[in-house]
Amino acid sequence: MDFLKSGLKTVLGAPEPGHHPSGAETVERLVERVNNSTLLEDRRDACRALKAMSRTYRVEVGAQGMDTLKQVLELDRADSETINHALNTLNNVMSPSQFEEEEENPQVPMNIGEQFTEMFIKDHNNVQLILDLLDEYDFRVRLSAVQLLTSLLTNRPKDMQEIILVKPMGVSKMMDLLSDNREVIRNETLLLLIKLTKGNANIQKIVAFENAFDRLFEIVSSEGFSDGGIIVEDCLLLMLNLLKNNSSNINFFKEGSYIQRMLPMFNTPEENEDAGWSPQKVSNVHCMLHIVRTLVSPCNSVQIVSDCQRILKNAGLLDSLCNILMASGVPADILTETINTVGEVVRGNVGNQEFVGNVMAPSNPPRPAIVVLLMSMVNEKQPFSLRCAVLYCFQCYLYHNEMSQANLVQTLLPSSTDVSNLTSGQLLCGGLFSSDVLSNWFSAVALMHALIDNPIQKEQLLRVLLATNIGSSPVSLLHQCTLLLQQTTKLQSKVALLMLLSQWTARCAGAVTGFLRAPSAVAYLVNQTCSNDHDDNEYLLQGLSAFLLAICIHFNDDSVENYSRESLKQLVVRRVGMETFVAKLSEVSRHELYNKAAKHPQLRAKAPAEVLIDYEFCRLFKVLEKPDGEGGEWRRGSGWGWGRGDGCGAGWGGAALEQYKALIRQQDARLQELVAQLDDMLQQNHALQVALNDSKSSNSLLKDENTLLKAQVSAAHGHSIEAHDKSQYEAKINQLTAEINRLNEILKTTQEEKQKQEVELEKLKNDQDDLLILLSDLDLKVNDYKSRLVSLGEKVEDDNTEVQESNLT
Amino acid sequence: MAYAYLFKYIIIGDTGVGKSCLLLQFTDKRFQPVHDLTIGVEFGARMITIDGKQIKLQIWDTAGQEAFRSITRSYYRGAAGALLVYDITRRDTFNHLTTWLEDARQHSNSNMVIMLIGNKSDLESRREVKKEEGEAFAREHGLVFMETSAKTAANVEEAFINTAKEIYEKIQEGVFDINNEANGIKIGPQHSTGGGASGAGGAGAGAAGGGCC
Ligand SMILES: Nc1nc2c(ncn2[C@@H]2O[C@H](COP(=O)(O)OP(=O)(O)O)[C@@H](O)[C@H]2O)c(=O)[nH]1
Ligand SMILES: [Mg+2]
Repeated sequence: MDFLKSGLKTVLGAPEPGHHPSGAETVERLVERVNNSTLLEDRRDACRALKAMSRTYRVEVGAQGMDTLKQVLELDRADSETINHALNTLNNVMSPSQFEEEEENPQVPMNIGEQFTEMFIKDHNNVQLILDLLDEYDFRVRLSAVQLLTSLLTNRPKDMQEIILVKPMGVSKMMDLLSDNREVIRNETLLLLIKLTKGNANIQKIVAFENAFDRLFEIVSSEGFSDGGIIVEDCLLLMLNLLKNNSSNINFFKEGSYIQRMLPMFNTPEENEDAGWSPQKVSNVHCMLHIVRTLVSPCNSVQIVSDCQRILKNAGLLDSLCNILMASGVPADILTETINTVGEVVRGNVGNQEFVGNVMAPSNPPRPAIVVLLMSMVNEKQPFSLRCAVLYCFQCYLYHNEMSQANLVQTLLPSSTDVSNLTSGQLLCGGLFSSDVLSNWFSAVALMHALIDNPIQKEQLLRVLLATNIGSSPVSLLHQCTLLLQQTTKLQSKVALLMLLSQWTARCAGAVTGFLRAPSAVAYLVNQTCSNDHDDNEYLLQGLSAFLLAICIHFNDDSVENYSRESLKQLVVRRVGMETFVAKLSEVSRHELYNKAAKHPQLRAKAPAEVLIDYEFCRLFKVLEKPDGEGGEWRRGSGWGWGRGDGCGAGWGGAALEQYKALIRQQDARLQELVAQLDDMLQQNHALQVALNDSKSSNSLLKDENTLLKAQVSAAHGHSIEAHDKSQYEAKINQLTAEINRLNEILKTTQEEKQKQEVELEKLKNDQDDLLILLSDLDLKVNDYKSRLVSLGEKVEDDNTEVQESNLT
Repeated sequence: MAYAYLFKYIIIGDTGVGKSCLLLQFTDKRFQPVHDLTIGVEFGARMITIDGKQIKLQIWDTAGQEAFRSITRSYYRGAAGALLVYDITRRDTFNHLTTWLEDARQHSNSNMVIMLIGNKSDLESRREVKKEEGEAFAREHGLVFMETSAKTAANVEEAFINTAKEIYEKIQEGVFDINNEANGIKIGPQHSTGGGASGAGGAGAGAAGGGCC
């Protein structure tokens, strides 16, 4: 410190003897000097000195020097050294991180950089000033300007994004720097752009429009693709930002043939590369995989996904990914992510699924890659996340593909003779009855995915027989599952088997019959449903049992004597009671893990304990459970509506049509009501927003004033100001602090209120969407019935076209 | 897949004049009467042929509302062509053309080709702006003019393709600096077999080597 002061003496001139100026005093005199001196050298020296002090005396320099420094940026533009000092000083004052020099000083608030940033960017011209400096070719000025913008973006990302967005050349200027041949500037610009593009679709689009993908691929390739350094990772992170949740940019990426340009990124390492993967390479490849998954994520539109999948295959990327799967020495987390990626690249795409199905692993004897993967899934010793990934990949492989579903079931049928070969089916059966709970769960769910929307395979699977003990006669797979369900004490196994059995029996009378014939199956289900244990998992089990019972009733073809549809229904009424039964059913969708699973096709479990419910099961449950009315009546033809599969035959006529029309009218009215509510909410939201902005701005005014006063107070210390002056200031500060607290309170309640409104709004929007979907379903049905009526020779008046139209408005 | 040139377009004009419908008609050959309001900017692409050369059009459809005006401005600089659209059944959209044009001229590169389009020509009975008025405006400001219907597809192909022809001619005349991607023009990756990614030489008219990627 003494050293610093003596260094400053030359700039400030000798002080009066005996007087040691305080930091605040020094800052004040330096600022004055920058303001008043007519000599450029003087101003430059003073700026340099301010920079030197700006870490230790951040508050003082910021509070007293901000305006002066802004002036320097405007007026001294010709002198790059001065500009550079000014930029660096501002960057220190607004730095998001805490300096070593400040660690001991309790006076400095933690978020001081953010507070100064807020003050600085309030005048948008200040941001423009920095943006203009990007045009300067001088290395240090350009670099400092980029760094300062990065700090500002780190501190106030949303505000800065909005400000830059309305500056016509704002984004373009930054993009130009990506082509700067001075690597340091290019690299810092990358960091800036990553911050700039985070979560703002409009900026992402402009950056893409400004040829970002071309630039980034140039850099990635010049740096050696996945073997390149951290700069490759930065490029990929920026690409990810541009693509994530931005279908317009994904479209652009696809149309611009950029997918093809990713191929060299996935070149498999040479055979002899035993050196292993550097941590940087692991990070790079992770990002690349992430980019691929962003393109084919099940959250994207079907059109985008299928286009990208086709291109990924044709460009040879799927091939490369499979090579990584089969390569040796690949780190486990990369392997896991590659498995997930391969899954999403093939999901629902027959050509790609077939391709993966034909990949052979270089094992001895050679086995299909799918079989090798499944071996890992049912192997307790493999990492948990890897096993989850295999399940997901396998589900994707079966998804919407009757061939791969049939092939799996085929491997279990008696006719498949080749016993020596290990097959997918055998592995899953082994897993189903293994002592490892996770293997049970994974296998049951995998098997269940072979049955989705596939009545033929449901029937075929009924033919599967298992040889249990030597000597005893073989048992059907269905009976074995039912037996296991009753025997196991493990929650995850039970849930998995109940899900499998529900999927199997739904819309398959043969499977219902098979299940009802299994020893004590019905009694077990009824007991489970009646159970009175209180805990979320117990509720779930009760609900799942009720669900399976409901399926057995609804899809029952009366072929088992004691358990005809009618007698089963009576049994439920007598033993459980209709209301209890319906209540138990609704428990399923209340479970936390059900709601988590329903969100995304991929099981996103962090720990084995979170493995419980499968996405596709949620879909089945949703379709079948949907009651017509709130109470969910339990009567044939209503309640368990669902028309699909077993139509209720005759009896549908004009009455049904009328019923639907009435329903449509009713829904329409409800829709109008919701729209009106939505409008209300939007208005309220707007009003709250205005109030929020008001209090925000008065709050920030007070904050500024406070910061300034604080600085003045600490400056006053040095001047040994009269005690009562000081106490006056302190009183003022206290008063202001109280005011700020009060405003903060208001702000908080307003924000909470706003959030509540937003949640409500979201809910209403969802409701509205649901209703719209329902309406269009009903429209289809009405039309269907109409044409059926017409074909039966009935005359149908055309008044429902008018109903339809009013829906569209 | 391979193209000789790539041109970037933007479509501008008041909201509701049919910009998104024009794009959809051009890229997908269909008309969608109920259309979402464009938020920010949407993207579409199509390949066309001019003078025997494959040309890829990358088209950015902007939102017309005032709130998005500043976002739209970011797209002027990098575009080689602009379709400035008004609605012949709404005079106010015609009256706003001057503002749009000023904005475009101020923020774009001076060579950008601007095509003036009077859309919804199928709605003759509701016409508020005479064809002659559109022609006169175009003449006065040095624009190419055309009336289109995104609904019947009348003149839609022509509007996009004529703009491309104009840009192509400017390239032939050497007006555009095609090596500066900021102009909204890219030279395609020449599909020379075997060669590496660099060195885009080959048959390209007077184009210097260098390559764009
Ligand atoms: N009759 C007719 N209607 C059109 C035409 N082009 C667009 N529209 C309608 O005009 C409305 C606005 O179109 P849109 O493309 O969303 O306008 P944008 O805001 O400029 O993108 C929509 O209801 C379209 O159906 C056209 O050529 N003829
Ligand atoms: Mg639009």
